[in-house]
Amino acid sequence: MDLAKYLSLFVTEAGEHLGRIGAELVRLEQAARAGEPLDASVDELFRRAHSVKGMAASMEQDGIAEVAHGAEDLLGALRRRSEAPSPEMVDLLLAACDAMTGMVARAAAGEAPTADPALVARIAAVGAPLQAPPVAAPRPVEAAGAPDAAAAPVRPVEAMVAAPNGARHRVTVTVRVAEGCPVPAVRGFLVLKKLSGLGGVVEASPSVDELRAGRIPERRLRVVLETAAPREAIARALSQIADLAEAAIADAEPVAAPVRAREPEKVEGARTLRVRADRLDHFLDLVGELLLATQRIREVGKTLPDDHRPRLEDEVDRLHGTVKDLHDQVMAVRMTPVSLATDPLPRAARDLARRTGKQVEVEVRGQGIELDRGVLEEIADPLLHLLRNAVDHGIEAPHLRLLAGKSATGHVAVSARRDRDRVVLEMEDDGKGMDPEKLRRAAVARGALTEAAAQALTARECLLLACLPGVSTADAVTDVSGRGVGMDAVKRAVEDVGGALDLESTPGLGTKVILRLPLTVAVQPVLLVRVGDEVVGLPIAKVHGAAHVDLAALETSRGAPVLPHDGRLVPVHELSALLGFAPPRGGPRAVVVADGEGAPVGLAVDALLGQQEAVLKPVSGPLARVSGLSAVTVLGNGRPVFILDVQRLLAA
Amino acid sequence: MAKRVLIVDDAVFMRNMIRDIFSAGGFEVVGEAANGLEAVEKYKELRPDLTTMDIVMPFKSGIEATREIVRADPAAVVVMCSALGQESLVMEAIEAGASDFVVKPFKPEDVLAVVRKVLGEG
Repeated sequence: MDLAKYLSLFVTEAGEHLGRIGAELVRLEQAARAGEPLDASVDELFRRAHSVKGMAASMEQDGIAEVAHGAEDLLGALRRRSEAPSPEMVDLLLAACDAMTGMVARAAAGEAPTADPALVARIAAVGAPLQAPPVAAPRPVEAAGAPDAAAAPVRPVEAMVAAPNGARHRVTVTVRVAEGCPVPAVRGFLVLKKLSGLGGVVEASPSVDELRAGRIPERRLRVVLETAAPREAIARALSQIADLAEAAIADAEPVAAPVRAREPEKVEGARTLRVRADRLDHFLDLVGELLLATQRIREVGKTLPDDHRPRLEDEVDRLHGTVKDLHDQVMAVRMTPVSLATDPLPRAARDLARRTGKQVEVEVRGQGIELDRGVLEEIADPLLHLLRNAVDHGIEAPHLRLLAGKSATGHVAVSARRDRDRVVLEMEDDGKGMDPEKLRRAAVARGALTEAAAQALTARECLLLACLPGVSTADAVTDVSGRGVGMDAVKRAVEDVGGALDLESTPGLGTKVILRLPLTVAVQPVLLVRVGDEVVGLPIAKVHGAAHVDLAALETSRGAPVLPHDGRLVPVHELSALLGFAPPRGGPRAVVVADGEGAPVGLAVDALLGQQEAVLKPVSGPLARVSGLSAVTVLGNGRPVFILDVQRLLAA
Repeated sequence: MAKRVLIVDDAVFMRNMIRDIFSAGGFEVVGEAANGLEAVEKYKELRPDLTTMDIVMPFKSGIEATREIVRADPAAVVVMCSALGQESLVMEAIEAGASDFVVKPFKPEDVLAVVRKVLGEG
């Protein structure tokens, strides 16, 4: 579409809206002070911001649309809560309005200006406390609003007559929403609504409530419809819905005409249940058991004769698919926004700053990103710890910052984003940074590393030395000690949930801590290895690689073999020795390179058995006191397998 | 005969853009309305084959207008014009009787594909 012809209209109309927004904001503030009602005013502001967003998006002016979207969200939240904006919000909204006015002027000159990320972030941050968790908002149920749905059990006479034999019958309708549709759940909802106009919906998967929540796994919707309408009528209704990649109608079992069907699911009234968290934990445990049981059935199947096996395997595959779906659903219910852990940060920073005489502002982005509640709970305290480090030891006193050419107020940016099946949580400060050389010297001075080993580390690995217990708490080396207070505990907590911690720092400019977290704790990929007659597992997250090698041919350094890996030499330990097993019998060997203490180590094993999704359970009872065991899982053959914590094993 | 369209949107800019899309697609744009109140009046007066309906508008929202139009004429075909992030409003509009929806920013061919389907021409 040729957008140029709409440009002048866009500039005029958007400009008009922005002008009115500016004026209305000032009026609103005065009205608030005078105690006058504000709803109409907030409503108008919201509508205007929304209009600007729609126009800008249509003009492919994404920068303007982004700022307008932020303003719209903030105003929308105020509108929902019938609240007046705080003076700070008015300031921000005015700033947004000015920014958009400037951007529209640039758009008029043929440019496509980008949004100021700081402004967008500030609007989001100021609005965040208003975006209350999804409350089960009472939905207005208007009887006349959805006549077809409400009247579902009793069909009009003509529909009854139209049925082949006058009987109501059940059909299963399956549709898949096309890839190009940006809102597949809404499309699914539309399909469900149209079908409910033809009869009673006996069953829908996903359900109406799930669709309302935007969930439609694999873009598929399956509906069992009890209807008197002929198949052609259903087909015709489906043919009039756009964006469906597939649609199929199949017979379900017939129903005797006079029998009233089960109360059909009505397309109205979202319901929400509060469920205790421990009940969800129990749910997850049971799903884990189901996964294991499925694997065990698969193992049993392997012993069957060839003519029976394929059928069983097909069924097991299907069962596994269903259980996996169930697992995903349970996990979806457990998902919690990152804000649970980040909300306390700004306040904590303020208190810390006040105590230390510093000025700090915390900016949180992506707090709506969700991950498993279990992971979040484990990460909340470490996050607070990182913030304390940043404020106490990263951010300088205001006068020092000014001397260094920085603003007096320090800045800590916390952000969350989804990266495939991980959530990346970053905390970046603009303080004085960390010096890898000092950490290197400190680690040697504290006896945590030999001089040679320390010299072999890259600058980045030196930063991670702050996470070694001996270094992080080294109070003699005051320059670095502070930074590392409890860093070892933080790293451990992150790794215990299957995550990884990384540090980036530039002396003088600041430090960034990067946490890569799994979406869930319960199921993790592990590498299974054989040591003598035993099978043990290593979390894949901590494995760098594996190789088949002839140990005797490796060079040695101080009596121990070393393996070239990734451009460096990695010391190789016999895993059997670390575990206190009988020494290896010889024969072909494999080495797994995994995270060790500060640097990777090689673990010699008898065989690599492969990777597997494992349901991890914490070790309990006396086993919990055995150093080096992090969890236990059960294999398909019923055999329990311990998951190793390599770092603790080396330290033991 | 070309199908007759009523366009409802509070922004002149959007109305122009939508009008161009439909004119180029062989439809006859018979009227425009800038808010929900006007939409209901114009609908009763013009009885178009198709109405495109913005959601957020002054005086009366697109959802309320759709509900009134469908109540007056159960065969009315109303297609909602929504933006990303308005999913729950679109679902509310579907409950109120909207036939289908399109999502901004519009691609002319997508908009035409949706309405042709709804009108049983696709």
